[in-house]
Amino acid sequence: MMFEITAEPLDPGPLVAAVRRDESGAVALFYGVARNENLGRKVLWLEYDAYPEMAIKKMREVADEVRAKFPVTGVGILHRTGRLEIGETSLLVAVSSGHRKEAFEACHFAVDRIKQIVPVWKKEVFEGGEEWIEGHMPEAGAEGTGTGIAD
Amino acid sequence: MNVNVRLFAGLHQMVGKREIILDIREGATVRQLRERLGEEYPVTQAFLPTLVCAVGEEYVPGDYVLQEGDMVALIPPVSGG
Repeated sequence: MMFEITAEPLDPGPLVAAVRRDESGAVALFYGVARNENLGRKVLWLEYDAYPEMAIKKMREVADEVRAKFPVTGVGILHRTGRLEIGETSLLVAVSSGHRKEAFEACHFAVDRIKQIVPVWKKEVFEGGEEWIEGHMPEAGAEGTGTGIAD
Repeated sequence: MNVNVRLFAGLHQMVGKREIILDIREGATVRQLRERLGEEYPVTQAFLPTLVCAVGEEYVPGDYVLQEGDMVALIPPVSGG
């Protein structure tokens, strides 16, 4: 298994190799990619921040949830930090299983859970400003509904 | 007692520090820690209700009682992916 937070460009090759077993008939690989627009704004680049130690711990928890829910043979997650230009890969999730259906479903589930509980944050820098994007408030805490962290 | 608190993302940018020390009373909860942050750094006040606290790399509820030496982080809504 492979779980990393890194400022270096993400390489899918070693990740796929890490999750594949001889029992695997399928590997689903998800790329999260920096997009050039959001909410009608032209995005110039993205910056990601992370709490690396905890992010790795939460990635492992996501993988544990995936293994408990789907008959997978491997799970790996890489997330990039720092400045990303448009088109660069921010997230790689690889899931292997005996058959394609479980690989697709488990990979989808993993990406959703990563966005809910892994402490990583995205800032969009667009024409005329920048904004830290508020996604999900992780469970087991805090009241309130979120008010926006736009500067 | 003093607790070290790590800050991230928008909160880091607002406060201008990656880590701060907050002086809270013995037996203070996470909720009181957030209030203390707001007193010390008024710029954060509008965002306090959105912050979840992690202690020892685990999310804890607002009524969690902090101990001296706890590894505390304030976590804005996450937006990875």
